[in-house]
Amino acid sequence: MENILEVNDLHISFDTYGGEVKAVRGVSFNLKKGETLAIVGESGSGKSVTTRAIARLIPNPPGRIKEGEILFEGKDLTKLKEKQMQQIRGKEISTIFQDPMTSLNPTMKIGTQIMEGLIKHQKMSRSEAKSRTVELLDLVGLPNAKERVDQYPHQFSGGQRQRVVIAIALACNPKILIADEPTTALDVTIQAQILELMKDIQKKTESSIIFITHDLGVVANVADRVAVMYAGKIVEIGTVDEIFYNPKHPYTWGLIGSMPTLDNTEESLVAIPGSPPDMLNPPKGDAFAPRNEYALEIDFEMDPPMFQVSDTHYAATWLLHENAPKIEPPASVKRRMKGMASGMIANSDQGGEQS
Amino acid sequence: MSQKLLEVKNLKQHFKTGRRSVVKAVDGISFDIYKGETFGLVGESGCGKSTTGRTIIRLYEATDGDVIFNGINVHDKKSKSHLKEFNQKMQMIFQDPYASLNPRMTVLDIIAEGLDVHGLVKNEKERKKRVEDLLEQVGLNKEHANRYPHEFSGGQRQRIGIARALAVDPEFIIADEPISALDVSIQAQVVNLLKDLQEQYDLTYLFIAHDLSMVKYISDRIGVMYFGKLVELADSDELYKNPVHPYTKSLLSAIPLPDPDYERTRNRIVYDPNQHDTTEEPELREISPNHWVLCTTKEFEAYKQELK
Repeated sequence: MENILEVNDLHISFDTYGGEVKAVRGVSFNLKKGETLAIVGESGSGKSVTTRAIARLIPNPPGRIKEGEILFEGKDLTKLKEKQMQQIRGKEISTIFQDPMTSLNPTMKIGTQIMEGLIKHQKMSRSEAKSRTVELLDLVGLPNAKERVDQYPHQFSGGQRQRVVIAIALACNPKILIADEPTTALDVTIQAQILELMKDIQKKTESSIIFITHDLGVVANVADRVAVMYAGKIVEIGTVDEIFYNPKHPYTWGLIGSMPTLDNTEESLVAIPGSPPDMLNPPKGDAFAPRNEYALEIDFEMDPPMFQVSDTHYAATWLLHENAPKIEPPASVKRRMKGMASGMIANSDQGGEQS
Repeated sequence: MSQKLLEVKNLKQHFKTGRRSVVKAVDGISFDIYKGETFGLVGESGCGKSTTGRTIIRLYEATDGDVIFNGINVHDKKSKSHLKEFNQKMQMIFQDPYASLNPRMTVLDIIAEGLDVHGLVKNEKERKKRVEDLLEQVGLNKEHANRYPHEFSGGQRQRIGIARALAVDPEFIIADEPISALDVSIQAQVVNLLKDLQEQYDLTYLFIAHDLSMVKYISDRIGVMYFGKLVELADSDELYKNPVHPYTKSLLSAIPLPDPDYERTRNRIVYDPNQHDTTEEPELREISPNHWVLCTTKEFEAYKQELK
């Protein structure tokens, strides 16, 4: 499959009173047509900044792209003028933001907000745009679309608003959809609906999705590939099976270990100790080393390069170096790696008959 | 089982939203919480779980029903000193660690506010010492006492909120979605902290959340709420192994688990509130020992068949 997006060695910094905050420090990945790439990591790991840079939504000043390129269909987005970017943003690349309560304009009717993009990018007339809007609302599963286009955001529930935000993002059939924690603010049942909806739409429109989240359950559900970010870098990237069943980086172990499973309650959760580093002064060597119980001496001196595990699986940890001691992931993580949810599967089978 | 610490009996909380319209946020729920246990309350937003917590701690006056804490009715008229005593025994940890700390107060003053109100410390030195001890207890440094909330991350702020609740030596803590605003790795830290503190101080928790896997992890018993009513109540293992009420089933089937193979085959069950038998008013019935389900007599028989 061809790459629709390539990000090479991206560096992004913010200038603050305290100094330069290096939010993204050399991120490279690619996105194929029709696939879903999930980016996971803690807040402050640079996942949102990376994707905002792709949509060129980083305010400058204080933010700036210091180095690197973002190739969308061969064009380097970092070099485009704002005018040119406006032709792409919302049309070719669009974003679904996290909080549906604040990403809609409360003083504008839902319909008008969806039509904006259609009129601007597709050069539709108002009446054409309106009928397309009704189609879009049907597509995202809002009942009574015809009446609802003339309503205001406060008349919608959280899940419905997120559907409207998705409709806005989809209005121009974007090639890349960036979903920045689209379900974090929603209830589980609504979340399940929205995820199903997004997968459904992806099948129909063949768009590529970059999905940012910190919920590994959601990642397992939507992603084809997963990139794990820590302190402004991708520390591990691979297919969803590789990341969940054969994780190599201690940080990924920590993330997986800190999620409770449904079939055990005895042991305590494997929390990652400490908190993320201050990006004003990123530590020397591997930024994760101070929180890493498997850290080697070299981790405090030199940043590990990306080691290749398989054709699609890479991890940046010295543990993969040929001279490193062989370390197995902690038992609790290993157990999760195989048949983690077997207890639950039996349950859902039972229920499946009823639905 | 050990003694009852809290009894909630037919609790109702109705809000008037207009001259004629009434929102029945909590509509007649009953449950008991035993000493030393963690009782989880789950449900979607708007189901009344937070309102229940807030009514129990008397942030709202109940419309009807009783909350009995240590044998004393919480909503009875009380003298000031009685009320104070009650406030000391029951504390709350709030959801949003950004909104629940006063940005203009130092951490020292935030945590010591309860100490001052209840007169638990004699002088400035003792006050400072107590706060520093509390900070270390929740995994912060004592140097943090003179800082302001904006200098802390979400997880650290939640720890401050926990220290504030602990300050007055409570018996019972209502934790209203204490971790939903935090990152996964930090969530685990805070949950482990809550568990440790529970052991250390023999605390009883009411843990309100919508993240079912976390609730399962921390709770001994779980109540599932839907539209102001308790629809199912059971030991947490039992609830996850043998969910009976269709709403519980649908809720459980919606949890995404960090396991790609499972996710590919997951079968989501859709709950249709119209599927219920409407010939009589449903009530909570015990379907197996300590496992209660809201149902009518007809449904009760059907559920029983299903469990076999």
